[in-house]
Amino acid sequence: MFGDFYLPPFAYMIVGAFILPLLPKSARSTAFLLFPLLALIVVWTQPFGEVMTATLASYTLILAKADPLSRIFGTIFSLIAIIGGVYAFKLKEVGQQAAALLYAGGSLGVVFAGDYFTLFMFWELMAVSSTYLIWARRTKDAENAGMRYVIVHLFGGGMLFSGILLHLSSGGSLLVQQILPGDSTLSSWLILAGVCLNAAVPPLHAWLADAYPKATVTGSVFLSAFTTKTAVYVLIRIFPGWEILIVLGVIMALYGVVYAVLANDIREILAYHIISQVGYMVTGVGIGTALALNGAVAHAFCHILYKALLFMGAGVALHTTGTARLVELGGIARYQKAAVALYMIGAFSISGFPLFNGFISKSMVVTAAGYAHYDAAMLLLLLASVGTFLHTGLKLPYFTWFGEYKGIRPSKTPVEMLVAMGIAAFFCMLIGVMPGLLYAYLPFDATYRPYNIPHLVETTQILTFTFVGFWVLRGKLAGDYTIAIDTDWFYRKPAKPARIVFIDWVNAFFDACEKAGYDAAHSIAALSKNPVRFFMPDGSNDITYSPNRYRVTVATIVVSVLVSFVLFAFAGLLT
Amino acid sequence: MKTIHWILLGVLTVISFIAELTQEPRHWWEQIPGFYIIFGFVGCVVIIVVSKALGKLFLQKDEDYYDVR
Repeated sequence: MFGDFYLPPFAYMIVGAFILPLLPKSARSTAFLLFPLLALIVVWTQPFGEVMTATLASYTLILAKADPLSRIFGTIFSLIAIIGGVYAFKLKEVGQQAAALLYAGGSLGVVFAGDYFTLFMFWELMAVSSTYLIWARRTKDAENAGMRYVIVHLFGGGMLFSGILLHLSSGGSLLVQQILPGDSTLSSWLILAGVCLNAAVPPLHAWLADAYPKATVTGSVFLSAFTTKTAVYVLIRIFPGWEILIVLGVIMALYGVVYAVLANDIREILAYHIISQVGYMVTGVGIGTALALNGAVAHAFCHILYKALLFMGAGVALHTTGTARLVELGGIARYQKAAVALYMIGAFSISGFPLFNGFISKSMVVTAAGYAHYDAAMLLLLLASVGTFLHTGLKLPYFTWFGEYKGIRPSKTPVEMLVAMGIAAFFCMLIGVMPGLLYAYLPFDATYRPYNIPHLVETTQILTFTFVGFWVLRGKLAGDYTIAIDTDWFYRKPAKPARIVFIDWVNAFFDACEKAGYDAAHSIAALSKNPVRFFMPDGSNDITYSPNRYRVTVATIVVSVLVSFVLFAFAGLLT
Repeated sequence: MKTIHWILLGVLTVISFIAELTQEPRHWWEQIPGFYIIFGFVGCVVIIVVSKALGKLFLQKDEDYYDVR
């Protein structure tokens, strides 16, 4: 970029995170945009191949390695960091800004990591920095959710690292490269489980729907982009063609849909639809053909754009009204027309409307499933897309902005939020209208044309009649004051019994021991007050030692001993 | 939703249905005419009904479910 000077993309973000606090407050928001922009430039100017290595003990670490797959992911991660920076432009909180940069930098680090150690290092950096975006909300709920989030992610990181160590100790390479589907060793399964946790594959997904709705307004925009999609990247890199991923992916796609029906918090609906959408990508990885893998990449790319847009729209509702609950929102569209319009672009995109980017990416995975004769998977993915439109495109906007007015008068929508939404919406439509712009940079060798009559027919009919179904049953979809329990039940509900067994009982045991110790010491001390009484024939009850009581007796003994001594000595002298 | 909206949706459906008849089926289910019309509507209803039933049966709890000591 500047002659021979080279820093890998992640370095600009991470260095930026440390420079940011040193800058004057007024310059930080602008500087925040600069670092991902530099990273984006480097992503596109660096050559393919191993561009930076380092040595750790006897290992050669490949800190940065570029190829078409990492470039496309690096592009979207840098781009969304810029858009997120615009959205958070008025945010004057350096902790959140630095955490967001570290988080985005970590994701770039993972994407360009050539070896497992480097990958793992950035993996953990992401976990830790993203936690701050949840805690920064500064509510009791967010504090608890953030703690659960980081514990779950450290557990996932532990599985990943155990897998890596086992992989190395059994002679595996340190390089991040494909593990063949037949190679189901323990190390592969551990790595897969660690990555699946971050991709939010059920039953390891509950952290996502638990934490994302509780993060800060701007934080959830960043959260929606990085963690799950870096995991998808790693899946594409290491596990293409693992058939179990088809099953898991389809389950994910439908799982998110079911829970989105029950969710009352708008950001929770969106969070469950991340799980659903990532399901398409995971399915694509499982199918493993060039078209399916390209579909997974393209869908990750498009998904990051429209999901950030949707979270930004939900963020506007939350920011201007102070609530994200469907039961309390409604009828406020007239106060924020621009935000609603931009949100709807995101909603049309995720639902796969023609001319929007979901149409050209989701269909790649669905079509690839059909080509590979996974008919059931294909139909179930189509069913999931019904659910996507139903919730993100109909239920959420209907009950948030339209429907019955509940009396909340929102404050003015901040301009920078609309600008950021506008940028994301622009890219959603640009790629939808001109898919070739994205397709040209997909890493695998497959061609696909999204605009054909059968695909348009299928989409039109499904979407139209999903709408009809929604309209008939919309009364059933209004939010209510409930939560839906998910697999986090297994670590949230037993927390209380576990606390009783491992903390209260242990505390009680130590208390009892301590008390017993004191009691013992006490009674021994009582005994030692007057040991003489044990030798008294009259069984004296006198507990306290009194010297006067024994003075005469002792004196008599001492005198008689002394007298005897004198007598014996005297007798000795005479003889 | 005004009447005009419903008419537009109706026109869209008719156009898509005619377009469908000009195409060769790509999958076995596409031999059923208007399959995706049925799929969209039934799918939507099934998702709502099944999810709500699951919610009523054992998933939905009070908001303070995890806070109760």
